[in-house]
Amino acid sequence: MGKGNMNEQENAMIRIHVMGKTYQVPAGLTIMDAMEYSGYRFIRGAGCRSGFCGACSTIYRREEDYRLQFALACQEMAEDGMYLVQLPFTPAPRSKYNLEEIDPSENVLLQYYPEIARCVSCNTCTKACPQDIEVMDYVQAALRGDIARTAALSFDCIQCGLCTMRCPADIKHYHMAQMARRIYGRYLSPVPNHLEERLCEIEEGVYDNELGKLMAMNKEELGIAYAARIREEAK
Amino acid sequence: MRKSIERVKATRAKRLEAGPPSPMTAEEREDILEKFHPDYKPEKKRKLAVGISAGEIVPHEVADIFEAHPLFDPADVDLSHIDYDVSVLVIGGGGAGTAAAIFAHQEGVSAEDILVVTKLRHGDSNSIMAQGGIQAADRPEDSPAIHYLDVIGGGHYANKPELVRALVLDAPMIIGWHEDIGVMYDKQDGKYLEAHGGGTSRMRMHSAKDYTGKAIFNAVRDEFRNLGIPVLEFFPAIELLLDEKGNAAGAIIYNIETNEYKIIRAKATVLSTGGFGRMHIQNFPTTNHYGATADGLVIAYRAGANIIDMDSVQYHPTGVVYPTAILGQLATEKLRSQGAVPVNKDGEAFVFPLEPRDVEAAAVIRECWEKNNGVETPSGVRGVWLDTPMIEEIQGKGTIKQRLSAMWTMWHRHDIDITKDPVLVYPTLHYQNGGVEIDEHGATRVPGLFAAGECDGGVHGKNRLMGNSQLDIYVFGRRVGMSAARWSKRSKPKKLSLQHIVDYDKQLKKAGIETDRVSPILLPDYRAETVISSSLGRFI
Amino acid sequence: MDGLTYFPGCSLKEEAKEFEISAMAVMKALGLPLIEFERWNCCGTVFSLTEDDLMHQLATIRNLIRVQENGSEEIVTLCSMCYNTLKRSSLFVNRDKERLEKINAFMDREQAYEGKVEVRHLLEVLRDRIGWDKVEEAMTHSLEGLSVAPYYGCMLLRPREVGIDDPDNPTIMQDLIEALWATPVEFPFQTECCGSYQVVDRRELIVERTHRILSSARRSGADVVITSCPLCQYNLQKTQSELKETIPTFEEMPVIYFTQLMAVALEVDSGELPSPLLAGLAIEEGVGNGER
Repeated sequence: MGKGNMNEQENAMIRIHVMGKTYQVPAGLTIMDAMEYSGYRFIRGAGCRSGFCGACSTIYRREEDYRLQFALACQEMAEDGMYLVQLPFTPAPRSKYNLEEIDPSENVLLQYYPEIARCVSCNTCTKACPQDIEVMDYVQAALRGDIARTAALSFDCIQCGLCTMRCPADIKHYHMAQMARRIYGRYLSPVPNHLEERLCEIEEGVYDNELGKLMAMNKEELGIAYAARIREEAK
Repeated sequence: MRKSIERVKATRAKRLEAGPPSPMTAEEREDILEKFHPDYKPEKKRKLAVGISAGEIVPHEVADIFEAHPLFDPADVDLSHIDYDVSVLVIGGGGAGTAAAIFAHQEGVSAEDILVVTKLRHGDSNSIMAQGGIQAADRPEDSPAIHYLDVIGGGHYANKPELVRALVLDAPMIIGWHEDIGVMYDKQDGKYLEAHGGGTSRMRMHSAKDYTGKAIFNAVRDEFRNLGIPVLEFFPAIELLLDEKGNAAGAIIYNIETNEYKIIRAKATVLSTGGFGRMHIQNFPTTNHYGATADGLVIAYRAGANIIDMDSVQYHPTGVVYPTAILGQLATEKLRSQGAVPVNKDGEAFVFPLEPRDVEAAAVIRECWEKNNGVETPSGVRGVWLDTPMIEEIQGKGTIKQRLSAMWTMWHRHDIDITKDPVLVYPTLHYQNGGVEIDEHGATRVPGLFAAGECDGGVHGKNRLMGNSQLDIYVFGRRVGMSAARWSKRSKPKKLSLQHIVDYDKQLKKAGIETDRVSPILLPDYRAETVISSSLGRFI
Repeated sequence: MDGLTYFPGCSLKEEAKEFEISAMAVMKALGLPLIEFERWNCCGTVFSLTEDDLMHQLATIRNLIRVQENGSEEIVTLCSMCYNTLKRSSLFVNRDKERLEKINAFMDREQAYEGKVEVRHLLEVLRDRIGWDKVEEAMTHSLEGLSVAPYYGCMLLRPREVGIDDPDNPTIMQDLIEALWATPVEFPFQTECCGSYQVVDRRELIVERTHRILSSARRSGADVVITSCPLCQYNLQKTQSELKETIPTFEEMPVIYFTQLMAVALEVDSGELPSPLLAGLAIEEGVGNGER
């Protein structure tokens, strides 16, 4: 099976080192495609293939750079001389809680994730984030009980776990941030009235009659009703 | 490409002033679909030769996995040793399956008596990849009835009415449930920030930036985890089990890391296995996740569940064309709902930006190939521009990073700034419109087998609208969870059988199908041809 | 508007909200508002005494870098603990450029810290920049008749090199009290440690300290104790109820932030005050809780 319209790549070949083994692959591929081209068939280490799931967390080092780099294999381009390894699983227990029963006050995150107090602000987490999230900043916000800021800063988190694997203070950033976002959604961002009103109407059966009529229509009648719709214009 | 971008820039002010082209009439839509939509090419499909839906027309790729042998010989499996004995088995750990488990629990089944099995990690699914939004008619200007009409018209009136009714009427309640579990929807001035999607007549697209699916699912999964329901990851179901009367009775699951199988007996079984994007129908690239290989469809079909609307495939009008490395990945419809318009190589707008997806996709294909107004990349792929800088011209500076940060990040990683330059797009395989036929309770033709999410059939007819897949997942995920729980209370433990697999294989032989194909295929194979041809081992 | 680059620290956003509320209101009234800077992080909590433990200097130095990015050369704190940590860290790196280079090299995503940011406590600003006479001028509600015991604790004064006043004989809080026409009460335990973080696992020790410190203040005639440390305030205030259970004769003593006392005198938002104190001040509930 092909990957669809995948065109043949430029002729230039590059070398990648997958866990120390060297392969020649065409230039212009993502790390994931380059590894597959080399013959790896992923079980772990591949997920959505679009940068949303965090399955393909990858660590690499370039031949002449002292720093480790962090990437999503499905999003980052393979480069000549990359030393690659994947980290598709993070051992990181989360705290169980009952969203309905917790007290959404400043201390709640610290209560469930006391290790956030161990943060020494080294910023290693931020450097490890393939989503460019200011991870350390949201841990710091959590530490001072600023749930809204923790939720906002961590919004783009895909829970790949790289921050957690790198943290010298053993913080489980992404679990803590998930809890913060849920607390924000549940307690700090009120439900719009218009939703509540609609729910009451549905409960009362306000739409049953009209829907019943629509359900009874044949294709021709529906076509007429459909064509007669007036599209709401944005204000 | 640069020259063409300059033309797009030069025409932008004029286009902004003139507004986008008008929507097509019903006749124009029929015409363009007939001529240009990939679904309307009969040579790309065939009649199914075997099974309960024999005679139905499906894409060759689907027929190939239906007309294939099981992965194992039923005689090799010991059904007397049951590894897991539960009330409710959920196959598939995306949004629908996770919601099903939560609601089965709410309906009174204890956490330990539910089991979720999933092929990859819990959450590896298309559910988390939805960017643009989820529809729910909750504004005073809108109503479930208008939503109904949008859905059934978009689906070419092929949808099952009772399923559409369930979809639109449950929608506000689902948003309410999401609020309860802490999903951070976009809000402004105490209201939801709601936008249009393709084919909608009211603004009812709720979003969580352009991470809607992820934001919803992550809250749902977190809630699920708080409940302590067990999950087996990297354990796809490779065949369903029936009892002697043909009721669903569990599944055989397979540890894809150790090659070991396990037997699950269940009183009720939920199928929430997603769609077929990774089958690359008609060789299209896809937006779908790695595991979208229609496994659930195959095993349900062998167990006797019929399919509906499987002739219809959704091609998302705007998949990425450039850079080639991310070819086929999604450029969310939200880009258009926030103001971006598709334009050709000369900077001309050629289609209303929010037609239903099939129509929009057909228009892009026509522009590229019949009218020859597409833009060709250095590697020879054609596409049209999606003029993303228009978004901030209309909605104000900062809108893209604020509401479309995933999109901004995706292109930014390749040094493309979508606030300044348009992006190149072309249709990409996105969604399985049809699936296993269900009723409004999510029940399939096989007693005790329920289905929800992309693998279900009948909800969307021949074309799904944006924002209705997220809705399908949670509306029917919830419904099947409750249905399965109720069914399980009335059902007794059963004697397990694989006779249907034996029978199905006999049918294949009778139909004269001689093949070495096996299914479900579980994962696509993207290794280089040179590697595959010199391989000595088999994956399974 | 001109103002002071203000570092709140975590406690002021949680347990010690009253401290921040009152300080904000007071400084606004004095025409030198506190302006919280973007992206601060925890101060580091406790200054690390290990010479080669540079990891524990990161938090403080990063804060100083943020201040530097902000274009300021000064940072003002309210919390004694934050003050102490930030100040000692800044001296620590300024004294040995090799340490600073190492830290800067580690933090390769940030600007290099240039060593120019001065760390100040709000009391210093009041004394040195605003002046006690100005404070007195701004007063609208005299505190005459109120006896106030200043409790310094450790972090404002020790070690000597970071002390905002003479560690053995501090007067800065007495001067403030006098400026508000109240009576400063000297007592022997005003620089005694409250027990600090021992509260986490040796609470009985804190109870004992509280007893000693507050009884001494009471004997010296104090109506109220003021402090500039959220941890001292927490320890001294929160253990009083336990103290009363074992020693029924113990008389409760309100322990408030110095800025709250100022807020009462300036009639601006003081944050919540303990009710016995309100009675003692003969002011109605709600007074001083005006503009927030």
